[in-house]
Amino acid sequence: ALANHRFITMASAANANLNAVRETMDVLLEISRLLNTGLDMESLSICVRLCEQGINPEALSAVIKELRRASESFKASENCTN
Amino acid sequence: SSSITDLLSALCDCSLSGVSWKRRALGGTSKESFHRTLKKRAYGALLSKIFQDGSKGSASRPNATANTPARNKVIMMCFDLRVAGCCEEAEKLEEQLERLPEGASSGLKELEAVLELLVFLAGSAPPPPTSF
Repeated sequence: ALANHRFITMASAANANLNAVRETMDVLLEISRLLNTGLDMESLSICVRLCEQGINPEALSAVIKELRRASESFKASENCTN
Repeated sequence: SSSITDLLSALCDCSLSGVSWKRRALGGTSKESFHRTLKKRAYGALLSKIFQDGSKGSASRPNATANTPARNKVIMMCFDLRVAGCCEEAEKLEEQLERLPEGASSGLKELEAVLELLVFLAGSAPPPPTSF
């Protein structure tokens, strides 16, 4: 019975944490939209995980801007060839 | 709990959305080769920033906002928006900032770093199209 009680407590704590993460992500996405960062939920989630891995936010912003530059020039060259 | 390399690869995948690969394949550019190019540029940007930070000595000019908490930077942006006449946007931003939980209650380990990232990326995307 004690093990069962511990399991239920752990499960409800994990569930509460999941809800907190979901709520925080929703607020962060809205802030991101208002600041016009160009991040969608998928890329924001990846960025959150990269920050949690210890990547410096300034360096990460440089990576995102570089990726945008690369894909924009790639898409532009696609339009030129058509 | 993915590794940094997996996460950077996923970020490159996000940048590839919206590209027509059928037409590209005819031109000789494959998705895989462009993905490799993106990864190379991502690592280049990441490493150059790391080395740049490492080479900054004590002689470099200190940045006035370097030690300012990210929340305060967003509040400063709200002020700038008000000055620019965008009061509605400023209010919405302040509202969201108040809703943002602090510390462990957010469920995220690095909330401050994420907010800092959003500050660095602020205004980096083209403005949304205005509807008529």
